[in-house]
Amino acid sequence: MNKVSLFIPCTVDLFLPHIGEATVRLLRSLGVSVFYHEEQTCCGQPAMNAGYQKEAQKAAQHFLEVFGEDEIIVSPSGSCVCMVKYHYPELFENDPEWRRRAEEVASRIYEFSQFLVDVLHVEDVGASFSGKVAYHESCHILRGLKVSVQPKKLIQAVKGVELVPLNAADTCCGFGGEFAYHYADISESMVKNKVENYLASGADLLLLGEPGCLLNIGGYLSRNHPQKKIMHLASFLADYRREKA
Amino acid sequence: MEPRTEKFKELVARELHNPLSQKFLKVMPPIQNMKRSIGLSTFPDIEAAQAYGAAIRQEAIARLPELLEHFEKNALANGAQVFWARDAQEANEYILKLAKERGVKYVTKGKSMVTEETGLNEVLSQNGIEPWETDLGEFIAQQLNLPPFHIVGPAINVPVEEVRDIFMAKANLKEPTLDPVELGYAARLFLRDKFHHVQMGITGVNMAVAETGTIINVENEGNIRYTKASPRTQVSVMSIEKVVPTMKDALHLIRLLCRNCTGQKLSAYVSMDSGPKKKDEIDGPEELFIVIVDNGRTKIYQDLKARQVLRCIRCAACLNICPVYGQIGGYAYGWAYSGPMGQVLNPLLLGLEKTQDLYRATTLCAACKSVCPAGIDHPSLFLYYRHKDVTVDPYFGGKARPAQEIRFFKAWAWAIKRPWLWNLGIKMARPFINKNAREGIIRQIKGSFADWFRQRDLPAMAENTFHERWKNLKKEA
Amino acid sequence: MEQSSAREEILQKLKQAPAEPVGPRPVLPPLAELSMTQEELVKRFTERLVEETGVVYRVKSYEEAIEKLTEIAQAENLKKVMVSTDEVIGQLNLPAWGTKQGIKIMTPLDFVDRDSYKDAVFLEADAGITGADFAVAESGTLGIRHRKDQARLISLAPILHIAVVPIERLVPTYEKAIDQVFANKNSLPSQFVFITGPSMTGDIQGVLFKGMHGPRKLMVILIG
Repeated sequence: MNKVSLFIPCTVDLFLPHIGEATVRLLRSLGVSVFYHEEQTCCGQPAMNAGYQKEAQKAAQHFLEVFGEDEIIVSPSGSCVCMVKYHYPELFENDPEWRRRAEEVASRIYEFSQFLVDVLHVEDVGASFSGKVAYHESCHILRGLKVSVQPKKLIQAVKGVELVPLNAADTCCGFGGEFAYHYADISESMVKNKVENYLASGADLLLLGEPGCLLNIGGYLSRNHPQKKIMHLASFLADYRREKA
Repeated sequence: MEPRTEKFKELVARELHNPLSQKFLKVMPPIQNMKRSIGLSTFPDIEAAQAYGAAIRQEAIARLPELLEHFEKNALANGAQVFWARDAQEANEYILKLAKERGVKYVTKGKSMVTEETGLNEVLSQNGIEPWETDLGEFIAQQLNLPPFHIVGPAINVPVEEVRDIFMAKANLKEPTLDPVELGYAARLFLRDKFHHVQMGITGVNMAVAETGTIINVENEGNIRYTKASPRTQVSVMSIEKVVPTMKDALHLIRLLCRNCTGQKLSAYVSMDSGPKKKDEIDGPEELFIVIVDNGRTKIYQDLKARQVLRCIRCAACLNICPVYGQIGGYAYGWAYSGPMGQVLNPLLLGLEKTQDLYRATTLCAACKSVCPAGIDHPSLFLYYRHKDVTVDPYFGGKARPAQEIRFFKAWAWAIKRPWLWNLGIKMARPFINKNAREGIIRQIKGSFADWFRQRDLPAMAENTFHERWKNLKKEA
Repeated sequence: MEQSSAREEILQKLKQAPAEPVGPRPVLPPLAELSMTQEELVKRFTERLVEETGVVYRVKSYEEAIEKLTEIAQAENLKKVMVSTDEVIGQLNLPAWGTKQGIKIMTPLDFVDRDSYKDAVFLEADAGITGADFAVAESGTLGIRHRKDQARLISLAPILHIAVVPIERLVPTYEKAIDQVFANKNSLPSQFVFITGPSMTGDIQGVLFKGMHGPRKLMVILIG
């Protein structure tokens, strides 16, 4: 329990590495020893979503080889965790050996906030932040993993913070991977709604747990409301940790 | 109804800029969702109630042939007549024959989506028999020659001005009015005359109960009850999946249907027919014809994964919760069935080639799955159909993917097991991706990702990926 | 023959498809109404129906029911009504009441054929008065078995429907009614309906209103 294997999604690896760094530092501050398999590449979600199941199987096999011996795997992403937990066993429906391996790993993988609260039993990570924050419920974290109480507990335990309600917090922000640029006009309409709700909430900062949503909402904010802030929950907790004396 | 599913992107672009559609979509779905929540709260355990509904529908589909035979046996024993139609043509021709044999000049129709699918109305009118849609929304859509905007409220988005105009032209509205209630009453008067003198009525079927041979219809307006009371001949059309095992099962599904659809505990009228009227009754049909329609469903049934779409009870909870439907409305889906249920059903009935966009225009957010009382897993079906395109599956009518995409994923799969190659690929891609980056922000990339950048920026790809930063992080420990 | 081959083809295709095991049914907690007393059921029935703009009157006897009908007839200015010939309505002796009140009482038995009966019920009747086989508390719903003495259009075509229901017919849930109605497959009613409130729609711009095709007003007189 005090040794976890870190699974870093491609979005974080390439575009948002500071979230990975924040995750590492935060876990270490809580007494957790973190290691990172350098041979990890990608969970295979892009191929799965595009219908390329054979190719997704290759990604899955590599993942299971890399992470197969780990007792606990933690990732600052919900969609990648869902891919491993739910789609890997399905992908190997007709292959009993790989299916068994997939089910084993599926039982040991956690989303970041889920790990902190449900496994580590930590809610107060020692952070403080004066201001109003709102929380966007990413689809895979909320509906896929049924994780919603955990991130809010972590947020509310932050000293000085006020978690304000966000209208339609559980409505999709419009990312959906390929959807965002293949059906860009629908996606734009959805992210615009999300941002309008953020602006209306009175929050100084929007928090979330999914890097894809961060790129999407963050990308729209950057272009249209550059002064409005958005952060991944891991970054928020790590950055606002009070320094130990 | 002629499918226009291939025009999806064009229709989406039009609807996103249609102020009337957008006005409606901002207001109605949230209200419906709220009503649904309130309605469901009358169950002691909402999740159990929904799961029970899903179990009923799963059983009904698993036992489909046996239940259909059982239903038919009991319906025949009740004095009904049963006709089996393999496809749209057989169903339409049979119903047309019944109408012609009885010298019928017009029929009143209760809402029936399967007859929209088969195009029955067109066949009747082409043969000199006028089909009057009597559900108010269907009536308006029919008069305006519009496809349905929502499967339950097909003309709910139409502005009152248009309703007034068409009623003045076609429904005897004498005094112009913009009051929906006055307009409704005008339709009432106009259609009342049709109900009074109708000789043959056509309804759909919400549920066909195998245990007793009973057909059940659920409505608020009363037009279906009229269609079952006034004429001498009643024709009720059901697609094969409408059957449920027992009356008790039907009751539970009706509770779920009403709450999920409009938030009501029960719709105003639920009518259950077990055969035609008895000899000594003065109203009700002397003849009851039940038409059981296949039209592509036995084919769907062959596939264990695809057949779950047959569980759908047409409650429209998925439409109301879907954030994509909430931006584009029903017209964009191009056929009788819209929203997530249309996105899983239309591809199976029309083939994947004609419906390429329907199962791709989704973020897989799973809101639909989370509200479905029939336990349908829409997101997994969207992935399934995409897979059928990749394998160009002939059974589903899969369409081959672009060669460039196939090559990309082959290379991607090759690299994914070879971390050195994977990371090299990332290194080599960086200068291209970051070509237009200024101060760590990319505002434009040409090519397939270009549309992202119309309204959104992207952070530049980091100078050092997490993978590269790990070396330092490892040391920090 | 063409028809049997369509039937055979459809059933064959279904039967030859891969089999799917039937999953277990989850446990379903019972509805609250099942453990209510009769007075609680009356209250629940009334609340639910009133929510749908139905009107519920409670009287102690058939005599009081007649008094209530007289009130209603005056308030609604009823001149001609169509009534059922079921056992509850029979007990009220409406023809005598009608004569006294100057109201024309029609029943389906007065008409030689469907068409003349339809003319009356569509064009002449200001109200339809019927009994009901059940009053279901869970949603303020009436349950009616249609038969010779309970014609269909009486509770549908006139703009006002008045139903008279002895309180013994009050049940907590739909199942309690259905269990009785469908107990014997050999004697099923040609049609059984659940009626909950007046007719309604929201099909124009989502604006809800009562009295679309069916009655605009529903009144229930509970006796007991």
